[in-house]
Amino acid sequence: MDSSLHEVWQAASGGLFVPTVGKDSHFAVGFSLVVVGVFLTFVFALNRSFANLAVIGVPASLALAVGVVYMFCAVGVYV
Amino acid sequence: MKTSAVFSAVLSLLTLASARSSTTSSSGSSSRADLPSTFTPPQVFKNANLVHVISAEKNYIKETINVVIENIDKAAQDEYYLPFTADQVSRLGGVEVKDRKDASAGLFAAEVVEFDPTSDTQYLRIQLPTPLKSGAQQTLGITYYLLKAYKPLPASIKQEESQFLTFSFSAYCPSVYTTSKQKTEVKFSSANVPDYTKLPGSGDIKQFPQKQGSKLTYGPFDEKPAGAVEPVQVRFEFTKPVTHVSHLERDIEVSHWGGNVAFEERYTLYHRGANLSSLFNRVKWAQSAYYSPSTSALKEIKFPLRVGSVDPYYTDVIGNVSTSRFRSNKREALLEIKPRYPIFGGWKYPFTIGWNSDAKNFLRKLSGDSYILNVPFLEGPKQPEGVEYEEVQVRVILPEGAENIKYYTTIPALSITDAEVKVHKTFLDTIGRGALVIKARNLVDDFRERELIVSYDVPFMASIRKPLIVFGSAMVLFVSTWILGSVNLKF
Repeated sequence: MDSSLHEVWQAASGGLFVPTVGKDSHFAVGFSLVVVGVFLTFVFALNRSFANLAVIGVPASLALAVGVVYMFCAVGVYV
Repeated sequence: MKTSAVFSAVLSLLTLASARSSTTSSSGSSSRADLPSTFTPPQVFKNANLVHVISAEKNYIKETINVVIENIDKAAQDEYYLPFTADQVSRLGGVEVKDRKDASAGLFAAEVVEFDPTSDTQYLRIQLPTPLKSGAQQTLGITYYLLKAYKPLPASIKQEESQFLTFSFSAYCPSVYTTSKQKTEVKFSSANVPDYTKLPGSGDIKQFPQKQGSKLTYGPFDEKPAGAVEPVQVRFEFTKPVTHVSHLERDIEVSHWGGNVAFEERYTLYHRGANLSSLFNRVKWAQSAYYSPSTSALKEIKFPLRVGSVDPYYTDVIGNVSTSRFRSNKREALLEIKPRYPIFGGWKYPFTIGWNSDAKNFLRKLSGDSYILNVPFLEGPKQPEGVEYEEVQVRVILPEGAENIKYYTTIPALSITDAEVKVHKTFLDTIGRGALVIKARNLVDDFRERELIVSYDVPFMASIRKPLIVFGSAMVLFVSTWILGSVNLKF
């Protein structure tokens, strides 16, 4: 046990934790990003090329990545 | 000759090694068994005046010993001993010792000393922060709780009958020191105390105890030698449930991505009161709701949660239980649950409750990647009759990648039995989350809202591990699609 933590807690009174995306916006942000990711995936499927891997694949993966995390949170599974 | 000499040398070395290892294991197995079996506390103190208050108002015993101790030794002393029986030690919890006249001295360290595990007498050693000089006095306030303290008498009652409990204790406060003057007060929740042991009085008082309303007073007694006991028993009306939680698992799950702290509590609850002497009669039970007679059955449990708590749920082994109500506004968040059936003496009811809260209510950010969490160690029911917890396991599940985990709690150190960091894997986890698991014994609802503070670090790369994993998986899918699409299958 570290008894100094009580003082640390008191000293951090101004440092409230604020998440990047608020609870109310989880679904909107998550769903939008997943839709964008799926749309870009279809676009990539129409023209599969090495160049499109970077131009479409990377943004699609990023959108899906963040979107999936926020969709988990939106349905109540706070990962 | 040479061979036998080498053999004997190896044998002696082995013997030495085994002796050393056995010494190590015996000293390392229990830090509490550090006194010889012949140990008796040195007679260096005298209890100049002692008031022993036993509160039987709730379904556990709370004892408070206010004692003026005097050092009668020539040297300064800093260790005061309090005796308990081995059975009491197994049910002892929430020990707190302080100086009644100096609040700034804080709480004193107290630990159970097992000098001989087979002995029926065990000692609580209280470490005074500054040694008490010869002839000096100090006023100690010792508070502790005893669980599973009562026995119902009669052991079985009818559904509509009142419940009576018995409790045995010593009219003289058990002490390893001579006590010059003392008295013992016993407080009940009801003035109906039909039976209690009577003792011959002293001075102007012809008989002990003196009864004033719902309070019995044994004493004042004149000087009693060390180890003096006077067993007495009281029997009193207790028309409330004797709620006993044998096991509580409390999970606190922190999510940085979701900005949420999720709580879940799994209770194994028993009623330790008088059993029903006949089968449960639902008609009588329904009738009693209209003229509300006193009943010892547990009908409702109230959980005052922190303001800001949302999404409560209440389930048991069958599934969701719909008989609950959640009052939530700016001032309170009260979860009221009605068990699926009224819980009578000897009955068991396991159930689960849970809720969410915004992380900002409990979590603060320190410099860099460090965070600090402050949550209540216990947040269980708040009932007029109280609740006792035999075993408590609090698990704080931190975000994945949390490291440098430290904790501090204001729960009495004697009640904490174990604390370790384990790995907990759940949705979207790859390496698993650090989970601080703290086990405690013999707690009561008086310790609701005691703080549990946890600090930890989450490096940036660890904090984006989840989207990175999904990103990597999606990229693998795209690259695979591109590669597979480039394969020429034409001949």
